[in-house]
Amino acid sequence: MRSLSKDLKKLLGSDQVFTSPEDLLAYANDGTFYLKRQIPDAVVLPHAAEDVAKVLRYADQHEIPLTPRGAGTGLAGGCTPVKGGIVLDMKRMNAIREINKDNMTASVQAGVVLGNFQKAVERQGLFYPPDPQSMSVCTLGGNVATRAGGPRGVKYGATGHYVLGVNFVLPDGEIIQSGGKFVKQSVGYDLPHLMTGSEGTLGVITDIDLRLLPYPEDNLTLVVVCETLDQAAALVSAIIARGAVPAMMEYVIKLAVSVMNSQFSFKKPIPETGEAYLLVYLDGSTAQVKKEAEVIREVAMDLKVPDVIVEEDKNAAAQYWTARKNFFPMVMSIFKRAIIEDVTVPRNKIPAFVSAVQNIALARSVTIGQAGHVGDGNLHPTLMQLEINPQTTLQAKETIDDLIRAGLELGGTISGEHGIGIHKQEYLEWELGPGQVELMRRIKKAFDPKGIMNPGKIWTA
Amino acid sequence: MYTLEEYRDVMEKCSQCSFCQATCPVFLATLMESQLARNRLNLIREIFFEKSMKLTDRAREILEHCLLCTNCTQTCASQVPVTDILIAARQEMGTDKGGVRATLMGKVLGKRALPPILGKLGAFAQKIGIGGKEMPRFAEKTFDHDFSGQIAASGVQRAKVAYFVGCGTHFLFPDTGRAVVDVFSKNGIGIDIPEGQVCCGIPLLAEGDLEGAREAVRANVAILDALDVDAIVTDCTSCGMMFKEKAGKCFPQDDPIQEKIGRVAEKMGEATDYLNALGLVVEPEALAARYAYHVPCHRAWAPGVKDAPLALLARVEGLDYVPLDNPEHCCGAAGTFFMQHRETAEKIRSPRLADIRKSDAQMVVTQCPTCRMYLSFRLDDREVLHPLSLLLKSYGADSDFR
Repeated sequence: MRSLSKDLKKLLGSDQVFTSPEDLLAYANDGTFYLKRQIPDAVVLPHAAEDVAKVLRYADQHEIPLTPRGAGTGLAGGCTPVKGGIVLDMKRMNAIREINKDNMTASVQAGVVLGNFQKAVERQGLFYPPDPQSMSVCTLGGNVATRAGGPRGVKYGATGHYVLGVNFVLPDGEIIQSGGKFVKQSVGYDLPHLMTGSEGTLGVITDIDLRLLPYPEDNLTLVVVCETLDQAAALVSAIIARGAVPAMMEYVIKLAVSVMNSQFSFKKPIPETGEAYLLVYLDGSTAQVKKEAEVIREVAMDLKVPDVIVEEDKNAAAQYWTARKNFFPMVMSIFKRAIIEDVTVPRNKIPAFVSAVQNIALARSVTIGQAGHVGDGNLHPTLMQLEINPQTTLQAKETIDDLIRAGLELGGTISGEHGIGIHKQEYLEWELGPGQVELMRRIKKAFDPKGIMNPGKIWTA
Repeated sequence: MYTLEEYRDVMEKCSQCSFCQATCPVFLATLMESQLARNRLNLIREIFFEKSMKLTDRAREILEHCLLCTNCTQTCASQVPVTDILIAARQEMGTDKGGVRATLMGKVLGKRALPPILGKLGAFAQKIGIGGKEMPRFAEKTFDHDFSGQIAASGVQRAKVAYFVGCGTHFLFPDTGRAVVDVFSKNGIGIDIPEGQVCCGIPLLAEGDLEGAREAVRANVAILDALDVDAIVTDCTSCGMMFKEKAGKCFPQDDPIQEKIGRVAEKMGEATDYLNALGLVVEPEALAARYAYHVPCHRAWAPGVKDAPLALLARVEGLDYVPLDNPEHCCGAAGTFFMQHRETAEKIRSPRLADIRKSDAQMVVTQCPTCRMYLSFRLDDREVLHPLSLLLKSYGADSDFR
């Protein structure tokens, strides 16, 4: 691999190329440790699209696998370099080129950290809603590549709904500028949205144009204490049916609440009296927020839900949302393995899915935490295990099979926001069928004839 | 105890979430994932437990290229004690090659005396600026030159404290020590500055010199535990952290010294936090100035560290607090880190300096002496001082002590 190191350093600066195993180890996996890990042969940190083009041309010519990477916080193994080769770490391409208030758009490089970007637009009274919970570190390029989303999906959708333009580099080094700073375009195929969710298998995303919204005038957090999981699920459906659209509606079970209470010094601890909880965030005009809070209260009363706590104290409320963001790593302080499922069902099927998950947990004798974006049907049932051994690994696999089957039977999808990566490959055809998968393979071939772009992802070969 | 074996299980709690990217100063300065808490843990696992990798020079570099700032540990939702694991790894790795640095440090800090030649060399190096490099500037007289023994409270004594004097105050900034003594005594707090104090030991731990750190802890704890005082205070946030959180981990759990360490830790408080909790009895005089606050990274051991300086200084009429964009941004100094990894330290410091420069603050307060030193190297037009020094100014004391 000496020549690879030498060649890459000739193309870019020596402070942009790393090939020692101690450095490469950092790039062997994403936010999962239970999926395959693979140390790459080199990591390259480009500063500009031209750097990316140089490296791609080189990799294409020598048929070296190349895996683009943002912050490496994915949960499907999408940026794990399973075939070795070069990892293209995009984090140094982190310039916010423009926040255009007159046009309500922003233009950024792919390595910009989502949380930094949100702060920057919010300083101008603007709003970029997509909110994967790794927002303090994850990159916009990674968000686009995985169609990432978060709790705000229920009202605002996910990353894909904000993408207007994507610049990307093809394996032969050609730089393509697709879309732009306009809110509609009817010209040819919709390449910006083909790149969105392409998981690095078609080309390398270098620059993105994004749509912005005005920052909502007011907000309010509600904690709804429910008697049972089923009651909470029924409440969600009822709230949506009544036309109230919270910005976030998160589902939290009692176990999660007691973990949050014990690990975060909440100003106001959540009463641990219910079996299930809804954490609701309303935003919009003050009048609209008030009206929606009233609707939720009424629906809760109709369903005999024990308690609706309206948290007027913004600081106390903010603590709940911070705890929610840290939920995934927090679970790891208790369990050895936590596999976050990403099945998403139509919203009127939420109660059915919640009971299906409970039945699966019972049948397989496993602990499944339900703490997810219930408002958009993306419940993230999380399989939590205290031991890792061949038996629990098999148990995990069988449980995930069950969850996915249950989601599909209800007309859902196998992934709402994490992507396929290596985690969901075997289920791809379950959802799409052979015809659609074959069509996708042909698209892949057209972009990447030699198959160097993030090989071994989405489908196995 | 600082052996890696003790951390084997808790290391497994790292979920690989990488949220430490948000807070690790070295990562943020380099944007390399190898320079991140997560990779340091993974590297330790592969080298020391899985034995799939060797302790190469590059591995050492990566493990030494950590400030021990504790930011990752403070924010880790999986509650992995990353800093302690790094400290344990450094004991296992041994020190720098041949241990020259640690030996030197142990001699100087452990004996509390600067060999005259070294002092002269330092001053000389500063004057002519060897390679233009920033070096600690030693004060002309160490703190113990002017202060030692018992200092009575003026007026009615409300409390009596022992004052642990860190190396920063002893060698570099005796004015901080004077501020502690004067402000405390003015506010009815009697002070005991016991003789025989040595370095708290944290620089030695950072160098992988566990034996040196133990010697320091033994010496200090023997002295401090014997005193009949209401509390023990330190003006240095890192010394406080050492006594409160790290000293006990230098010894086996069943070592008889643990009891003493426990009692000292129990009494240990940070000077501004202690004073703020007790309250001022003498109102400061008005002082027209604008100040910013640089929060030291070693802040988690005493919950009041962050707020106490602001609460105390809020009592001074005319003194305006100017919030920085990011008051908790690390400055990159981290003890001797800035001398060992100059390029990285500068990269960490530069946004911090920019943040200060674009504010209209005339001065910057911080409790940590190395932060103070490292920031003042590049802040010619703004004084950097301990919060109690600023408070002392408002009590009308002459401010040109140093």
